[in-house]
Amino acid sequence: MDAEHSTGANDAASDAEDRSASNGASTPLGESTPPLGLSLASATVAVVVLLPLIWLVRLAFDVGVEEAVALSVRPQTVEVFANSAALVVAVTAASILVGVPLAYLTVRTDLPFRRFWTVAVSLPLVIPSYIGAFAFVTAFGPQGALQRLLEPFGVESLPRLYGFTGATLVLTLYTYPYVYITTRAALKSMDTTLVEAARTLRHTRWEAFRRVTVPQIRPAVAAGSLLVALYTLSDFGTPAIMRFDAFTRVIFVEFNSFGRDLAALLSLQLVAVTLLILAAESRIRGDEQVYGGGRATDRVRLGRWKGPALGFCTGVSALALAVPSVVLGTWFVRGASDVGSETLAFDISYVLNSVGVAAATAAVAAIFAFPVAYVAAHHRGTVATLAERATYVGYAVPGVVIGLALVYLGTSYAQPIYQTLYLLVFAYVVRFLPQAVGSLRASFLRVDPKLPEAARTLGRTPGGAFRSVTLPLVAPGLLGGMALVFLTTMKELPATLFLAPTGFETLVTRVWSAYSQGYFGRAAVPALILLAVSGLSMLVIVSQEGYDVK
Amino acid sequence: MHMERNDTGRLSRRRLVAAGLTAGVAGLAGCNGVLGGGSDDGSQNGSQSIGQIGSGRSPFGDRSIDGGTSMSEMPALSGELTVYSGRGEALVGELVEFIDDLYDDFSVQVRYAGSSDLVNQIITEGDGSPADVFYSVNAGSLGTLAEEGRTTPLPDDVLELVREEFRDPDGRWTGTSGRARTVPYNTDQWSASDVPNDISAFPDAERFADEVGWAPTYGSFQAFVTAMRVLEGDEPTREWLQGMLDLGVQEYSDEFLVCQAIADGEISVGFANHYYIQRILAGRNDAPLATAFTSGDAGSIFNVAGACTVDTSDNRELAANFIRHLLSAEAQDYFARETFEYPLVSGVDPVGDLPRIDELNPPQGVDLTQLSDLEGTVDLMRDVGVL
Repeated sequence: MDAEHSTGANDAASDAEDRSASNGASTPLGESTPPLGLSLASATVAVVVLLPLIWLVRLAFDVGVEEAVALSVRPQTVEVFANSAALVVAVTAASILVGVPLAYLTVRTDLPFRRFWTVAVSLPLVIPSYIGAFAFVTAFGPQGALQRLLEPFGVESLPRLYGFTGATLVLTLYTYPYVYITTRAALKSMDTTLVEAARTLRHTRWEAFRRVTVPQIRPAVAAGSLLVALYTLSDFGTPAIMRFDAFTRVIFVEFNSFGRDLAALLSLQLVAVTLLILAAESRIRGDEQVYGGGRATDRVRLGRWKGPALGFCTGVSALALAVPSVVLGTWFVRGASDVGSETLAFDISYVLNSVGVAAATAAVAAIFAFPVAYVAAHHRGTVATLAERATYVGYAVPGVVIGLALVYLGTSYAQPIYQTLYLLVFAYVVRFLPQAVGSLRASFLRVDPKLPEAARTLGRTPGGAFRSVTLPLVAPGLLGGMALVFLTTMKELPATLFLAPTGFETLVTRVWSAYSQGYFGRAAVPALILLAVSGLSMLVIVSQEGYDVK
Repeated sequence: MHMERNDTGRLSRRRLVAAGLTAGVAGLAGCNGVLGGGSDDGSQNGSQSIGQIGSGRSPFGDRSIDGGTSMSEMPALSGELTVYSGRGEALVGELVEFIDDLYDDFSVQVRYAGSSDLVNQIITEGDGSPADVFYSVNAGSLGTLAEEGRTTPLPDDVLELVREEFRDPDGRWTGTSGRARTVPYNTDQWSASDVPNDISAFPDAERFADEVGWAPTYGSFQAFVTAMRVLEGDEPTREWLQGMLDLGVQEYSDEFLVCQAIADGEISVGFANHYYIQRILAGRNDAPLATAFTSGDAGSIFNVAGACTVDTSDNRELAANFIRHLLSAEAQDYFARETFEYPLVSGVDPVGDLPRIDELNPPQGVDLTQLSDLEGTVDLMRDVGVL
């Protein structure tokens, strides 16, 4: 699966696609019905990742219908519901406004240092949003670091960053890369000769973008936005630190006051909202394009827009990357003055544990994602759609809920694997599978079914055709999805706390341990290493399409 | 009433000092950290003298231990033990490691997470729980676990190491170290006399408008509100919370951040456990931060961190003896020096700029187990709009 090989295959694919395109036939999806075995496998994965919901339903039943209804309609619930909805809409919209232009700039224009910016604007994804939120509060609080810096100039206090604005800002900065990454992939595989054609028809550049580019990248933008929206819905740390009353905060308070049944009920409401978002995304996604062209012509010249474009890239990465780096750096420097924190000293095993378990999760997620993505890409049936959508539910439920649900399932039905790495990896897969499914599904969509068919007519078995033709073509997407799963697993905290084997420490549990007790200095080293390792996997995501970053 | 309590305290202190005297001589003669924490010399065992755990130095000055029962006087530990610790590793990791290293054939596995998370986990685990000991930051979560029927009573000789008011009346858990509710304030803006010594005066203190910080999602704060409900009733508590909201109280996600905000001058007064103040002062002793106390009300409630044995444990004796070690002179001294908490075993004094335990004025008539009624508190706080 080395880059060179897949590059060659891809070029071949492009040629073949051009040929098939010239036939003028638009092959409808779902013509090739997937084998029964794959459909079964896909449905099985869906059922398995939905298992944790059993616990939620069981607990929610304990609440009783009357109280459940009363709780659902009381003003406070409605208010947090509205708060969460507003936050999801704002963060998703802002992520599109940041992510799509950045993708366009780094793929389609003559932006200087494009390669550098491609990496730089992807990197915020490696920073856990709670670290980002804390860094912003530390730096821009009314009496934070920035204020102290400005104090000699008479700045007594900065405006408050907390609440809706702060939560939206921080969540956008650390989730827009989902939109950026998916949009970028779509832009790269897009046949830009269409844009040229539109231009020759005297469309303005903006019109050409709107009428030709937008429809082609819409499914990809929708897919990225879906990840952003669901992440926003499930994130607890940022609203908590930014003091904004979202759904997750109420669930957290309930769990903390031992109202497990109420927390479960609220979590089910969260699942309902998730289903709404999934349905909405299905509509936006609309009819998907089939196996895009990938013939790139000259890049758009920015001209006098070069300055503002550079300013935009610089601004976004500076805010998202520099703020936490400086704060973590300050913690690192001040680290020595901490009292009573000897036991939080750094150990290499935390890195190995984090990397090992994240790599295992990426591998298992790839295996689980394969049948789901393949069936979803080649088949239009209800089962195919439901199975694919089902994998997203775990992603939208807060980690603490998935964690406790698997504590229940583990101790009740799987005692031998409770508090072993097997169950931990499974929890991560439940949480992050859609990232692999989404990426892989998009890759399958770009493979012209005529190619494996051609291989079959040349005497290959279905399996042989898949191995020699399809697999190399989807390899980059697979690798990208795995890298995405890898780095989100590295960042995951709540499920880790509930399910890791006792004594199994990861970088994040060390960050949590130090941070939650106020030993910020001790949090710096594991946090910085976490960013470095995740950053490396980010490079994989970017470089798997590296042959185009010229 | 205060006299009576203090008398009981002194009585039990005298008894304990007597009991621990031999230990003090035998065990603590070399208490200058000869056997510092983190030493993993396998040749150590219970028969050797035991030194001070940790650095042996406090940011507030050196000290020696002169009370309590030494670990060397306690039953030796052997076997394997799983502890679910709601207390963080930074605070208790060194102590646990010290006990682990003390005995050749004893090994302890610790699972660190939030206290409420662990209670939820143990309850959710049901019969399948691997936990032997639950070690918690507050009485509330211990009470919840006890109420769920998931604890077993501790042996009397473990319970008796601690004064009655710091343990469960039914012996289902015991406190291991204490934490006082306090009012941290910024010394650049206020002097001690500016801070009311009555918690009910805060909502009317207009000078504190937009200047007070609290952490309503934080367990200790909810325990404080619970205490207010127990002492005053729900209606006055509701009014107090509403009054604070009207005053313009600032919200933080935990009490360490409240204290930091006060030290930074972002706000000038707040509600927090006493040791957060000490911990900030230990790191930056020029911070304009000091401790005030209210008197005889919920604002001065004295809560405990503590431990219990879990009912599904198959080694309850070992579990109980482990908890006994948390009440040893060495461990109590460790809490005072390293976590800035109040030792609960008499004869070991707190460290830092703090009054002694019997100089505090906590309210009478609050059984710490009552502080486990968090659901009623959360409902009330939500009703008022605090949560």
